[in-house]
This record gives sequence, structure tokens and C-alpha cells, in this order.
Amino acid sequence: MLRFILRRLFVTVPMVLVVVSLTWGLIRLAPGNFYTGEKPIPPAIEQNLRQRYGLDRPWYVQYGRMLGSVAAGDFGISLHYIGQPVNGILASALPVSALLGALSYLLALVVGVAAGVLAALRQNSRLDYASMTAAMVGISLPNFVLGPVLVLVFALSWYWLPPARWNGFGINLILPVVTLSAVYMAYVARLARSGMLEVLRSNYIRTARAKGLPERTVLLRHAVRGGLLPVVSFSGPALAFLITGAVVVERIFALPGLGNYFINANLNRDEPLIIGIVAFTSIAVLVFNLLVDVAYAFVDPRVRY
Amino acid sequence: MRRALGVLLSRALSLLALSPLALSACAGPGGDGPYFGKVAPPEGQTLRYISGSEPESLDPQVATGQPEARIILSLFDGLTEYAPRTGEPIPALAERWDVNGDSTEFTFHLRTNARWSDGTPITADDIVYSLRRGLSPALASRNAYLAYGIENAQAYNEGAVFARERATGAFVPDPANPRIRLTLPADPEVRGEVLARLPGLADGQPDLDFVPVQPEDVGVVADDAHTVRVRMALPVPYFLGLVAHQFFRPVPRQAIETWGERWTDPAHIVTSGAFLLERWLPYNEINVVRNPGYWDEVRLDRISFYTLEDVTTMLNLYKAGEVDALYNHTVPAAWVDTIRPYKDYMDAPEASVEYLLFNVERPPMDDIRVRKAFNMAVDKVALAQYRRTAKPLSGFTPEGIFPGYPQPTGDPFDPDRARALLAEAGYAGRDGAWDPSTFPIADVALTYNTAETNRQLAEFVQAQWKQNLGLTVPLRNLEFRTFLTVRNDRDYSGLARGGWAGDYLDPFTFLELFSTPAGNNGTGWFDPRYAAMLDAANREGDPAARYARLADAEAYLLDAQPIVPLLTMATNWVKKPYVKGLFANPVTMHAWKFVYIEHDPSNWDLEDPTPR
Repeated sequence: MLRFILRRLFVTVPMVLVVVSLTWGLIRLAPGNFYTGEKPIPPAIEQNLRQRYGLDRPWYVQYGRMLGSVAAGDFGISLHYIGQPVNGILASALPVSALLGALSYLLALVVGVAAGVLAALRQNSRLDYASMTAAMVGISLPNFVLGPVLVLVFALSWYWLPPARWNGFGINLILPVVTLSAVYMAYVARLARSGMLEVLRSNYIRTARAKGLPERTVLLRHAVRGGLLPVVSFSGPALAFLITGAVVVERIFALPGLGNYFINANLNRDEPLIIGIVAFTSIAVLVFNLLVDVAYAFVDPRVRY
Repeated sequence: MRRALGVLLSRALSLLALSPLALSACAGPGGDGPYFGKVAPPEGQTLRYISGSEPESLDPQVATGQPEARIILSLFDGLTEYAPRTGEPIPALAERWDVNGDSTEFTFHLRTNARWSDGTPITADDIVYSLRRGLSPALASRNAYLAYGIENAQAYNEGAVFARERATGAFVPDPANPRIRLTLPADPEVRGEVLARLPGLADGQPDLDFVPVQPEDVGVVADDAHTVRVRMALPVPYFLGLVAHQFFRPVPRQAIETWGERWTDPAHIVTSGAFLLERWLPYNEINVVRNPGYWDEVRLDRISFYTLEDVTTMLNLYKAGEVDALYNHTVPAAWVDTIRPYKDYMDAPEASVEYLLFNVERPPMDDIRVRKAFNMAVDKVALAQYRRTAKPLSGFTPEGIFPGYPQPTGDPFDPDRARALLAEAGYAGRDGAWDPSTFPIADVALTYNTAETNRQLAEFVQAQWKQNLGLTVPLRNLEFRTFLTVRNDRDYSGLARGGWAGDYLDPFTFLELFSTPAGNNGTGWFDPRYAAMLDAANREGDPAARYARLADAEAYLLDAQPIVPLLTMATNWVKKPYVKGLFANPVTMHAWKFVYIEHDPSNWDLEDPTPR
């Protein structure tokens, strides 16, 4: 097990390297620069700026410096938010995205698993049809539609909830969390239902029942563990993307998370910030996938590392 | 197919993004009173204002955008301040000022009771230090060009050198303007070329020493602790309007020298304005609180600047009563008709214009007749009606902004004449009449930066040319910075979109764009005669005569037609009825110390008592 984890962590390094290198190259291909503005600057000033940020050095020096900063985990100073360290920006934006993402996924798991399992147990019942219809709607309804509709109803018609803005942990989070979790909730429900259906028909469940175990034990000890495997494997990447910034929801609800920074960093050609967010996100995706694989070992008795 | 799907998706997105407001606002003022959405004043004297994007910096000399400027205005005092109603300069740190006859020297008399937030008095030395810092090549401020009228400012900013005769030690005067010293590029090669072109100097070159321009050479002097004199290289009659700009607001030497780039952190910042920085939460809000040591009366206790970018979200917050006012251009065209009837709507002409640039270096737009035809074939009145928040423009300076300015008008909408001009330019069939098939349409496109409003504008103009000339000009949209690079390098064919917001209230801030071949010009059109006309206008002492000369220059520009004027923009924002002292002025810059919350509803609809 430990060897497996170490090996996977070791593979993470070249993968992150490839991702940041590609990103770095793409930034360079984009026309314009962080100082390109409506009002062009005199050549002398441009020269000063390039010198100050090391853009006058050969590309391999700049590339090496970028790699060094990623390796050290210190992404340097933002080019657009003048004087602000990228690490500081990540530190301020990450908790917002992480809280939003974690709450959304928690909600998606609780509601999705409950709905999926119940639907599987009462297959072809009204409950099954209702929850699967709801799941279908959830999957088809993008969050840039759902968000504004929820705002319209709860914030602008009934004035129950604030329409936007971050205010720490509180009622401001209700609408964005519901909006963000809807799609995941639907996926989880469908995965849980199909996983459970498959497991419920399998031999070991029949064996368990034949042994005379109470239905409750059969379901909770045997069926759920196997039936929710698809949900577990879905959770890794889903969670990684959720906590590293939900671009659309953060924009609709004006939340100061990583998503906003990422969009603007690209538009502003803010290289250190782009590299910082990309490196962070790719590490998060790889680590969460690893966590899922480790979790398998505990959930699925067939898996051995 | 994929592309079609993408287009459909983006249409759906923009439609749906509009839906909450569009649906919920259809009741109209008849149904729910004279105000838009929930009207509940915040407790006490607190203003919640949406200021736009997250500021790149709170350093007045570094930040360039208007969203930054509005926050900075609350924190830093200027020598002058924007008058709340008109945006004209009114006294602030400077109690009064004197201007010499030809607008080449400005003397500011500072008030003696102004202090930094750390208690130290604000003196003339602070003004001198700040201007030198703003112009220093090391700071590399993108707004430094605003101060280029000041003697040696541009030379210092660009790292230029003076020429000094070795034998006498005397500085060589500028042959074009003997009142000031000659400045030359620091690069010996470029300098050699410049020198070779200067009469009388080409031969004497070996006898010259080249001395770098120092900060002390910039034309700003402290005569005593409370008197600052600013010397100009050229007459700068509009300078007073310029000094309220954030770039000219003094910055605290003591904090900058201690903390370097991080001096604007809430923990380190030292300010001079009516408010103090309390909290800065990135992409969320910036809180400022009343400065108890400020020399003037301040009515608000606190302002929360909410930094967000999505206009739908802004209007949602506004309608739900979570914010009290928005910044300019925040009501999208689709909602203007809904919101305009309410008293919340703040409408006034703005000192900014929208236009199209021709790349006059590439055929067929190198032919003035073609350019004139393209201009005459666009119905700007119809365009303004379509846009709803703008007024048609036929000149280049915004209409209705500069009282007493005899603004010239460009060619009117005239499709017949446009077609005749194109035929005259050689694009004619056998019968001698205009024949669209002879026109090299493949060499023409309309390039704009990606934005919903720009797309609408481009499509409208495209339809006009289709209808009136029978030409389908391809549209090409580019991401903002890509677009700017393409436009500045004149790497486009045909036309590109342009927009310009005045830096100060004077026609010159617009006309100046085409006074150099480089910079924001973007068209490739440059005429020394035009530059000379502007220069002569600025040397004119009498304001009315100066305006007349500037108008002549504008007429000359319009006649050369490097641009298609389109629209004068409007302020286009909303505020709640209880917010007083906040006006739709043409620059949308607010002196926050005049703003207050009126808790008595019976005063909401009365004339705002704020003077000026």
C-alpha cells in the first residue's frame, strides 16, 4: 500500500511538469502582454517593465525560473495585482472555493446517495421514476440557468435570500451551494442507483440473504459497500474540480474564489498567477484521484495493492 | 455544426443571464412605485457601492483603470477635486492657484491644515516627491504620459539625456522651443540619428556631453512649505482639469520608503483623503471609514466598495436592496427601457466616444473617398436609437460635454453620395455607377474586441454597409489584449473599433490621440499640420479663441477621415433615492466626501441640496 502511494506520488511530478510547461508555452503564444493597455506605453517604460520582470532574459532562463518557482512552491508576484504574492492570492481564494465545493459535494452525496439507493430498492416505483426524472433534469440543466432561476425566485421575488456575495459561512452560501451541487447530485443519484441495482442482483448478496442475514444488514454491510463504488470513483475528480474553483457559479454569485482569479489571470496575461493556479489545480486532481484509489482498498474487498 | 452549437449555446446563455431581471422587472413603475426594487436605506451613514473589477492596485500612480480610480478618490486627496455635479476642478489640497498668461506655469497654494493619516502635515515637498516618483522610469507607471506637459517630465520618464556643450558647460536649448533644454534619446545610435537631423548641431556633436535627465530636472518646485510651482514645456491650458486625476494625487513618501511595493497593504497604508482604508478583501469588498483627521466635512461614516464584474449580478444585488449605487455603463441595453422610467436611472452624456478606425496604410482604405463613403453610409442616429444609451456623433469630441466649444460636424448620413464617392474612386461598372462587385471586399474587415455590446455595434454597422453600399464587410472579434496588440501595430485590414474616455474635461484629451503617429492613434494617419494646429490652439491665451482653434483642428481631422465617429456615450447607472450628493457627471468620478444617506423619505425626491 505504501509503495503504491509513493509510486503514484512519484508519477505526479512529471505530470505536473508537463502541465505547467504546456501552460507556460500557451501563455507565450497568446498575443499581448500584461502591460498591454488601451493606452500604449512609451518604449523606454516598456523596456523598464520587461527588465523588472525578467522578460528581457532568454526564454530558457525564464522557463527555468518558472520551474524553480513551481518546485519551491512559491509562485512569485502577480503581474496584474501589483505587488501581491501569488501564494497570498491562492491562500485567500482557496478557502472560499474549497468551502463552496466541499459543501456542494456533501449535499450532492447525501441527497444523491439517498435518492439513488431508495430508487434502486424500489425499482420501477413512482419514487424511482420521480427521482430519476429529477436527476435527468439536474444533469440537463446547466448551472448558469439554474443559478439565475433560483436567484429570481428566492432573492428577487420573495426576498428570502441574498442574491449574491460572499459573507463567510452563512445564508449567502445557500443559493450557490444548491446551484453548484445540482448536477453532481444528479450524477451521484444515477450512479448510486445503477451501482446498487447491479450489486443487488449479484451472487454474494443472494448468498448473504440465503444465510438468513436480516435485510438491513444485507443492505448496509454488503450491498451499499459494493453498490457505491461508482460514486467513489466519480468523487475524486469531481471533488478536485469543485474545490479548485467553480468558474460560473463564482461569477453569478460574485464569490471571491479561484475561478474568478483564473479567468482574469488569463485575460490579464498574469503569468505567475496562471501558473500558480494551474499547478495547484493539477496537483489537486492527481492527489484526489490517488485518494480515491486508496479509498477503494477500504470499500472494495477485492482491491489489493 | 459544432460552431453552430456553440453560437446557440452562447445565445442561450446571454438570454438566460438576462432572465431574472427581465422577468421580475416587467411590472414597471406603475405597479411598484417610482423606484426600482427594494428601497431600504442602510442604517446610519453607510454607502454600499459596486465599483467594478478587483483593483490592480490602490497606488494612485500605478493603478490605471476607472474602477481603481473611484476607490482611490476616497483615500487620497488631490490638489483639486472633481466637483460633484460637473466634474470640473474645485479646490482641495490646494486652496487656490495662479496661472500665468500663456498657461505655462501653475502655482498651487496648499492649505495648511491637511495631514496624512499618520499625522504628518502634507506639504509642498510631498507634491514634488510624488510627481517625481510618478515619472520615475523605475516605477514604470502607465499613466505617466498624463504629466508629459510638465517641463522635462517626458525626458525623465523615458530616461533621456540633455546635451551640454563641453567648452561652455551650457545646455543646448531645444531648437523648436528655445525656452527649454533639448532632450535626446539615451541610446547613442538613435541619438546620433536625431542629432544628424537637427540643424546646426550635426557638426558640433563631438563637443557635447550627454547628461541624464534627473528627477530634479522635472519642472516641479516647492517655493515654500505650502507653495508648489509647476512649469510646463508647452502651454497646457487644461492642466487644472488634469490634476484631480489619481496620477497627480500625492503619495506618502514615509510609507513608500519603508514598505516598498507593499505600502498599500491595509496594515501599512498612509492616506490623505476623506476616508481611511479599513479592510481589503480581494474580489469581495474594500471598506473605507471616515477619516477623523480630515480637514473638510465628511458626511458618510463608511463606504463599502463591492468589487465584482458581472452586470446581471450587480443589478440583482441592486434590486434586492443589497447595494445603493453602481458605477457607470452597468445597465445593459436590453434592460434600459425597463429601468429608465424609474427615478433610479442616472443618465447624462459622458466624456467618452465610440468610433471606428481606418487602417489608412492599406488599400482600399488609403483612399480618402473610400473612407468618406464608409462614414456616410452609416446612419448614426439609427445606431444611437438601437443602442438606447448613447447619442449620435458626427464629430470626434463627445457632444454636449464642453460648454462653449463650437464643435464641428462631420459628413452627414448620405448613402447616395457614399455610392457616388466609391464610383469616383474607381469602383464602378461600365455605366460609371458604383458597382459593389468591383470593390476588393476581401481586403476589408471590421475587427473588434469580444464583448456583447461591441458585437451588436459591429453587426449594426455591417448591416448599414450591406444595406447602403451592398457590401458585406466580414466581422472579426478578438480577445481584448490580442485586439489591442493588433490595433496598435495596425495589423488589421479595413476597420477596427475604438473607444476613448477623456482623461480630463477638455476637447484636447480626444484630439490629442491623432497628434502623434504612435500611441493610441492606431490608424496610421498622421499630419504634422494637424499637430501644429493643436499646438497653436494651446498657445492661445483666450479660452474662447482656443476652443475655436481646437474646433478648426477637429474639422481638419474629420475632413481627413481616419475614423468613423459613431456615438457619444452616456453615464448609464443607477442609484437609490436615499443616496444624495452623488451625480451623473460626465466623468463619473465622485468626490465621496459630499455623499450622504438621506433617511427622511420626504426629501428623496427634492432637489439635491449639494452645491456645485
